[in-house]
Amino acid sequence: MRIPSRLISSLCVAAIISVAIASHADETCNSPYMSGLIKGQEDFVHVWTLGVPGMGDGSDKLVTIDANPASKTYGTVIHKISVGGRGEAHHMGFTDDRKYLWAGGLDDSKIYIFDVGSNPSHPKLIKTIDDLSAKTGYVGPHTFYALPGRMLIGDLSNAADKGGVTGMAVYNNKGGFIAKYDMPTTTITQVKGDGYGYDIAVNPAKNALLTSSFSGWNNYMRDLGELMKDSEAMKHFGNSMVMWNLKTMQPEQILAVPGAPLEIRWALAEGQNWAITATALTSQLWLVSRDPQGVWQAKDVAQIGDPAKIPLPVDISITADAKGLWVNTFMDGTTHYFDLTDPQHPKETYSKHTGSQVNMVSQSWDGRRIYVTSSLLSKWDKKGKDNEQFLRAFHWDGHELTPAFDIDFTKEQLGRPHHMKFTANPPRVASLTGASVR
Amino acid sequence: MHRVGAPAGVVAGVLSLFGIAGMTGAAVDPGKATAPRMEFVPPPPGSYKLQKIQRVTDAILLDTAGHAVKLSALTQSKITLLTFFYTYCADPLGCPFAHTTLADLRDRVRGDRALAQRVRFVSVSLDPTHDTPEVIASYSKEFTIDPKFDWRFLTARRVQDLLPVLDDFGQDVSVETDMNGHATRTLHHMLKMFLIDARGEVREIYTLAFLQPQVMFNDIKTLALEAG
Repeated sequence: MRIPSRLISSLCVAAIISVAIASHADETCNSPYMSGLIKGQEDFVHVWTLGVPGMGDGSDKLVTIDANPASKTYGTVIHKISVGGRGEAHHMGFTDDRKYLWAGGLDDSKIYIFDVGSNPSHPKLIKTIDDLSAKTGYVGPHTFYALPGRMLIGDLSNAADKGGVTGMAVYNNKGGFIAKYDMPTTTITQVKGDGYGYDIAVNPAKNALLTSSFSGWNNYMRDLGELMKDSEAMKHFGNSMVMWNLKTMQPEQILAVPGAPLEIRWALAEGQNWAITATALTSQLWLVSRDPQGVWQAKDVAQIGDPAKIPLPVDISITADAKGLWVNTFMDGTTHYFDLTDPQHPKETYSKHTGSQVNMVSQSWDGRRIYVTSSLLSKWDKKGKDNEQFLRAFHWDGHELTPAFDIDFTKEQLGRPHHMKFTANPPRVASLTGASVR
Repeated sequence: MHRVGAPAGVVAGVLSLFGIAGMTGAAVDPGKATAPRMEFVPPPPGSYKLQKIQRVTDAILLDTAGHAVKLSALTQSKITLLTFFYTYCADPLGCPFAHTTLADLRDRVRGDRALAQRVRFVSVSLDPTHDTPEVIASYSKEFTIDPKFDWRFLTARRVQDLLPVLDDFGQDVSVETDMNGHATRTLHHMLKMFLIDARGEVREIYTLAFLQPQVMFNDIKTLALEAG
């Protein structure tokens, strides 16, 4: 296929990055200025998978699945790379050039850098960062968010008491530590910060960095059944979001959002002034938007399932046009679709039971393919027959999720699948160079 | 990273120098380029600290007269804004946009005479085979109208001299290939500008979403205030 000249022209430099600022969707929660968003068919799904004792090599691993229907190995595991231990594999994020994938362990706080640019069908582990705690005092690296030439890492806990007070760390793309920023515990804009952290999302046009809050190591590494019976421990969940000035990296507003607000998605199209999140414990969608005075406000705008049953919303995925939102609820194994045409009044228009337990949900840029994984945390996953461990791919025609393929991670002796990221074979290019991570 | 040099003079423009069998696939869509938006009031200079991202590694490059120059001589002692380009890039939101942004910044900096003496711009070609010293000398005339403003254009003697520089800055570059795997005249690279302090340390990196001249000007002044 010959690429049209205008497209070549746009390829030549800036477009590769600028795509990202136009809109932000899945392909799911990528940094809005990361290069090379996949707007067509993704070729591979990489799954950061928790090791299970006695299952295969028992190690955390990056599993690569062929996701291109035109391929002979479509819907199968084509590659896996173990990291040589179990550290509670959880989330991942691409560097700004999308050549490298950083993946963290919530228990051992190690950060693994995989080269997915050289050959995305066969990622290579090229570096392990193990100084997060020593450099910052934080533990539990969760969100990996690309900044130009750097990685901003949202953490969950701290090394001192392993509670929820934590912060964000910045490393350069070579893996060198740069800076740390504590989550606020003071009172700002009349709301006291809890110091907790979780997700990170940036809106470059507004110089805005929004963070959410979850819980510390003491809770996320504890058996969920025990935890929920411990009323004191259940008090130690985040109840806030923080709006930061991205340039100064100073917190400017704290927003009261009770119930552990988790994943954050900005609507980045021009004229949009909002981000959305879901609260795990109170099962609500919250909208963070600017009022006419320019002040950010947080407001609960919809219920997710029946909050009294604690369905536990765990992941969300916004469509490219910010008109729709997928929400996975872990406890009832349900994938929900909300119409966000009016973000002040989201409406659930579809739901489907997609597993006995479901966690992450990722959609392709065009919204036609949805991927669901099962594992939340090693100590929070269900027991017995409900402990299904899978990646399920679906087609979405706007009305119905239709199964595409299903990979049983227990049968394949892989482990507990959690976070997913997509890659594609690059267009016809020859390498001039690739910045190496040393 | 595998790199292969092709025989000299094989293809018009340099790019066959980089000729390697390309991988196929078309799923990555570069999308429509969009100029950066700025919907905020930038924080004033000196009210914040810029991160120390990395030190710049030295290299030997060529100036517009063809003289060998140490990169460190042009990334220290002044506040430096460095970018990569190639002279025949035609994307309006590519190299031309970058240099238009830099020209805007140059004019802002020239408005502060004391600051202007402490600032330099450096533009390094990504294509040393085509962008010879003579070519970049011609190209640079449009941007170096003020002899008092320090704006250097550099190239390399050969691609191999440039590669460590690109690697150090994390400047991703690849070459578009045709159906037969032959290099075309299109370079894919992520537009980045690097703000470097007078000690040779990268303090900010701007990709397209962050090419906001007022913010960049404030960052330059912030470094000047920091140095005293």
